[in-house]
Amino acid sequence: MPADPAAESRALERLTGWCGCYSPWTAPGPAAGGTPDGSGAIWLDITGCDRLFGGEAALVDDLVERLGTAGYEARAAIADTPGAAWAVCRFATDDAARTKIVPCGGARRALAPLPAAALRLAPETAASLDSLGLRTVASLLGLPRGAIADRFGNEVATRLDAALGVVNEPIAPAAPATPYFARIDFAEPIGRAEQIAAALDRLLVDLIRDLVLGGRGARRLVLSLFEPADDLHRFVVGTGKPSRDAGHLAGLFAAPMETLETVYGIETMTLTATVTEPLGPRQATFHEEKAGGDADALLDRLSNRLGGGRVIRFAARESHIPERAVITTPAFDGPVNSPAAWPSAPRPIRLLAPPEPIEVVAPVPDDPPVMFRWRRVRRRVVRAEGPERIAPEWWLRPHDEDASGLRDYYRVEDQNGRRYWLYREGLYRPDVPPAWFLHGLFA
Amino acid sequence: MTGTYAELQVTTNFTFLRGASHPGELVQAASALGLHAIAVTDRNTLAGVVRAHAAARETGMKLVVGARLDLVDAPGMLCLPRDRAAYGRLSRLLTIGRRRAPKGECEIGLADLLDHATGQTLIVLPPENSSPDRNFEESLVSLRRRIGNSVHLAASHLYRGDDRARIGQLAGIAGRAGTPLVATNDVHAHAYDRRRLADVLTCIREHCTIDEAGYRLAANAERHLKPATEMARLFRDHPDAVRRGVAIADACDFSLDELRYEYPDDEGSPGDTPDGALRRLTWEGAKTRYPDGVPDAAARQVEYELDLIAELDYAAYFLTVHDIVRFARSQNILCQGRGSAANSAVCYCLGITAVDPNRLDLLFERFVSAERNEPPDIDIDFEHERREEVIQYIYRKYGRERAGLAATVIHYRARSAVREVGKALGLSLDTVSALSSTVWGWRSGPLTEDHLREVGLDPEDDRLALTVGLAGELTGFPRHLSQHVGGFVITRGPLSEVVPITNAAMKDRTVIEWDKDDLDALGMLKIDVLGLGMLTCIRKGLDLLRSRYGIDYGLADIPDEDPAVYDMLCEADSIGVFQVESRAQMTMLPRLRPRSFYDLVIEVAIVRPGPIQGDMVHPYLRRRNGEETVEFPSDELRGVLEKTLGVPLFQEQAMKIAIVAAGFTPSEADRLRRAMATFRHVGTIGKFRDKLIEGMVRNDYERDFAERCFRQIEGFGDYGFPESHAASFALLVYVSAWLKCHYPEVFAAAILNSQPMGFYAPAQLVRDAREHGVPVRPADVNHSHWDCTLEEAESGARPCALRLGFRQIKGMAEESADAIVEARDRPARRSFADPADLRDRSGLPVAVLETLAGADAFGSTGRTRRQALWAVRALGPAPLPLFAGVGEGRPEPAVALPAMSRGEEVSQDYATIRMSLKDHPLALMRGKLAEERVTPAGHLVELDNGTRVAVAGLALVRQRPGTASGVIFITLEDETGIANLVVWPKTFERYRREVMAARLLKVGGELQREGIVIHVVARRMEDLTHRLRALAAGDDPLKPPLARTDEIARPSGEDRRSYPSRDFH
Repeated sequence: MPADPAAESRALERLTGWCGCYSPWTAPGPAAGGTPDGSGAIWLDITGCDRLFGGEAALVDDLVERLGTAGYEARAAIADTPGAAWAVCRFATDDAARTKIVPCGGARRALAPLPAAALRLAPETAASLDSLGLRTVASLLGLPRGAIADRFGNEVATRLDAALGVVNEPIAPAAPATPYFARIDFAEPIGRAEQIAAALDRLLVDLIRDLVLGGRGARRLVLSLFEPADDLHRFVVGTGKPSRDAGHLAGLFAAPMETLETVYGIETMTLTATVTEPLGPRQATFHEEKAGGDADALLDRLSNRLGGGRVIRFAARESHIPERAVITTPAFDGPVNSPAAWPSAPRPIRLLAPPEPIEVVAPVPDDPPVMFRWRRVRRRVVRAEGPERIAPEWWLRPHDEDASGLRDYYRVEDQNGRRYWLYREGLYRPDVPPAWFLHGLFA
Repeated sequence: MTGTYAELQVTTNFTFLRGASHPGELVQAASALGLHAIAVTDRNTLAGVVRAHAAARETGMKLVVGARLDLVDAPGMLCLPRDRAAYGRLSRLLTIGRRRAPKGECEIGLADLLDHATGQTLIVLPPENSSPDRNFEESLVSLRRRIGNSVHLAASHLYRGDDRARIGQLAGIAGRAGTPLVATNDVHAHAYDRRRLADVLTCIREHCTIDEAGYRLAANAERHLKPATEMARLFRDHPDAVRRGVAIADACDFSLDELRYEYPDDEGSPGDTPDGALRRLTWEGAKTRYPDGVPDAAARQVEYELDLIAELDYAAYFLTVHDIVRFARSQNILCQGRGSAANSAVCYCLGITAVDPNRLDLLFERFVSAERNEPPDIDIDFEHERREEVIQYIYRKYGRERAGLAATVIHYRARSAVREVGKALGLSLDTVSALSSTVWGWRSGPLTEDHLREVGLDPEDDRLALTVGLAGELTGFPRHLSQHVGGFVITRGPLSEVVPITNAAMKDRTVIEWDKDDLDALGMLKIDVLGLGMLTCIRKGLDLLRSRYGIDYGLADIPDEDPAVYDMLCEADSIGVFQVESRAQMTMLPRLRPRSFYDLVIEVAIVRPGPIQGDMVHPYLRRRNGEETVEFPSDELRGVLEKTLGVPLFQEQAMKIAIVAAGFTPSEADRLRRAMATFRHVGTIGKFRDKLIEGMVRNDYERDFAERCFRQIEGFGDYGFPESHAASFALLVYVSAWLKCHYPEVFAAAILNSQPMGFYAPAQLVRDAREHGVPVRPADVNHSHWDCTLEEAESGARPCALRLGFRQIKGMAEESADAIVEARDRPARRSFADPADLRDRSGLPVAVLETLAGADAFGSTGRTRRQALWAVRALGPAPLPLFAGVGEGRPEPAVALPAMSRGEEVSQDYATIRMSLKDHPLALMRGKLAEERVTPAGHLVELDNGTRVAVAGLALVRQRPGTASGVIFITLEDETGIANLVVWPKTFERYRREVMAARLLKVGGELQREGIVIHVVARRMEDLTHRLRALAAGDDPLKPPLARTDEIARPSGEDRRSYPSRDFH
């Protein structure tokens, strides 16, 4: 399976979040690519958490086992410092145990036999140490600090001290992904709808101020309403285009929040823009511009009411095969086509799906029809253009012979002025009766 | 409704990534369809016309030479010159456009066109994707006004739906503008079934996948050649447009055969004819060559040749070559000519070659023949490091209007084709690289399903199957034009009126649009100015011989026919020796046992596809060893085959046989040779085959012999190797062997200082020198120079020891080495005490010191590799003089670094200097190998034929010669010597991964011996590369250097077919 670093790092982040059920403090370890076997790492600060599980050993065993159930091959180690835990977890390969616990104060002893790389050194540093024969942590422990610093700067010494717990290694826990966040705490819990709506308006004002500064608009908002007893109501709305319009955004919450029922009242409200996109500053105008704005707002309301995937539109897909040249796409997701993406040759406004077989009288090999019968009615061709020859997309049907799916299209007009789009499938062959179809109707 | 039709708009695959058929395919298809004529009109280029011309000559098709001009400020148009002068103008126009644009591009404006429009029929192309508008009509009218009635308008029926209306509209415009309508089909392929390939080419060009390509692909594939009846039907409303195309083709009266090549006539002084000048120079030279007076035979030969040269009017050509050689000599650049004309008495006197023709008694008129109107053939080899000086001299002397390098057409090879097609079909990068990794760089059979499964791919996958199929079609397509290694075309008049000249990728180079096959097909002369590594090596060797031993020799002065030299060669002791150092030559030497100069000529020529495919090698060896009587197929062939014991070995002999035995005329024989070498077409080859074999059988020759002769000629097509080339090479074989035999330390230093060249990596060359008793000393800051040098030896067999130069150290730059030497030896020699001292005095950055320490080059300061590294790591940049000695002076506590194991030392040596003087890695694992009953390579000689053995060693070379029907040869090296493996195709299929990837290989098989030649026929293989890793102890496994000729690390390149040796650059 081809490697997909982006997906791996997303999966690691998800897993880091999941580890929150063991400790409130979790963080993704050094990037997956930086490790010798391409695996990822997660740090947990379990200070005080172990008692919930009946001890450290029980905690890691449970963790590793549950990860195993989820399909991850995991190793875990507990030590006094993040550095030591990482090193032991990864490099103490002397036995098959998948969990290791370094006793308090045992970091030095646990680290000594490990390779220098266990100190999370830059690859160049590790390579230099290696070329000097300084391959284990123990060989570094024996050297004068000054001599090491002269040659390798502070990196080696700092990592060594951090792993041994001489200095603290600050590691930032998984942080909220977006800086666009607003929060209100209420002195007294509130419960009435109009109070909540007013609070939402205040939140939006705060949030939009930040969005303006950041030059961004919201695509997705999460509104969280906290009740005192660990209870949480959460509403998520999305917009089709990045938006900073408070009225519009507030309106999106109206429908979903109709269902809100509070027990004790709301103590705290937070509003987070979890997805944002660049949105340039907009020049205020004297008169309100309406062009497009209403349609966007309508689409947002429809989408939030009916569900995102249910509002669709047509989009061009570059293909010579007429029925493959149009696709439907969620109203906001697909790319907006430039006119060049649509076929330049004339195409009927309406395509029949599937094309309907017809009987045709036409001179061979490929002159336009003079007469055809469609839905039992004979139609005389008074005007015609063609053929336009469209060959099949061989890369989708590599086993077909190339000429077999080939079509010759004709635009024809009957005696009543109606215009049709006909085609003959396959090249003319004297021994095979040609197959004709009506594929579309012009106006 | 039949009629005739001439297709005037044809894009071949020389419009790269647009045309989907070879020029030859198009001409042949046109001929098969019975078309009246076909034009070739590639975009702004004439690169494909000679191939089309050759095909047209064979099929009798009428070819119109032209180009499609894409102008920057006017509509595109087809330009079809009606005569030679107009052709010259078109060529000049393209030259102007190409010289002002970067490589591969062309920039022509309307003004340029107007300057060159005389004699051209111009067919303006309507806009491709929109309907012709008022602007278009206006520009057409304006063209008509400015150029006149040779302007036409093209119309094509391409099944776009609106064709009738559009062509009608064009007819209207044509009528109003007075530019008659001409029917074309905008041909991009010779047949419908190139559609898939055409779509893939579009994707490669647009850097997209087939699924993304959308409207960039053509909706249909109607742009192929169609028969006259079909064109008449499509244009039934405009029959004139079809007839007009035929008339235009008829009016284009120019054929490439009219390009009369004229030699430059710059040489000779005023009042002196070229003949007179040549005569004078030749006799002057003769006096130097024969200081004791010119022998009668030589004088007669010189006179004979001079007369012939005068008769054929070739004097100017010889003077040109002489001038180039004279320049090289004035710059002290060693050079030597070869080729049929080079081995003449005249060339010997002129100093173009150092082979005395009298000494050699070559078989043939080693010279131009009067009856064949064939240009004389002289290639000149120069020292590869200094060839550029010669090239720039030629440009300076003749100007870029008259001299240009021939092009080399770079084709899609199996590997690049798979990569590009795979990307276009949207395969993932992993899949593409897995796929291309299974393709050997060697010409090999198609990818099989097993190959795919082996790298974890599913052969049932549709896209994969399409990729494999289409890659096969793309293989052999031209990809871009590069420059020929050194083939110069020099003309008397402006070269740009013969062929367009373009800029090369390399600065200061200009290249013509035709390659050597094109030139050959047109009988145009080129002088090959080639770089030859061995000449560099010999010159450096002769310099060392002079400075160290006071012996002053030139190429022609080496004592000849020295038995010691031949003794050495008979033992196959030939590592480094020119031409005879390959595995195949090493097995041949003890069988052929050369004892004289002419034996070397044969030795050089016999291990070639010609004699091998003709099955001539064994008969010759048997006769030479007296196991078979020497007899001649007929009396008339006695003269031809006498010197080679009745067995034809040289290309000249094969050609002579065609003439004498099969009744070919000399010019037919020449055509046969060309048919084999260039633009091969099965049709013509078959015709010649019948003529040769039946002709010989009719003349009472045995059919078997006749067939072998034909196969031999076929082999020469791949790798033509005439006696005349072999003779010049044989001299270099002898000179390099003489140096190696008598002065191994000189030879080793010279060849190391000339790298890259030859077959072997420095590790093997050094090892060979040591086996010949040369003490080799490591590169050291206190002793080495950039180049390897010779030092007084303390004792031992040789008077001098070889000191490795800094050039052997990976990552060292020549300037750094010079800075060290400067600081150490000027004004007086003073050794460096430690790394800090070196830094302070040389000012080199610490990174360089680290490289030196890593390479263990501080040994003379009493530091081990690790101690030196430890010391260097503590150094900052060199302090300003004022502060020198301040700081850093703080005494450091002594640090005990772990000592390196032997294995680590050796691994580090390989990592830094790609060899180790301390030990061979295999020696360090011999204990374990012995337990596994692995025989050291050096002991194989004691075993009997057929013994089952196991050997293990570093894989030096892996080769699959085209002549050995899929057999792979691998050379393994251990501490005792080398073992030669033979891997049969079946075994290879089973152990493909081991052969491809293993650096340390263990092989079980059977010993096979013939005389002193020993092979191990492999049955089982095991990859032991992990043991090298274990040896290194650290993370970096030892990477043994592969020989330069390894075909997996360096898949044989495009040019291999063209040159008789891989020794060229």
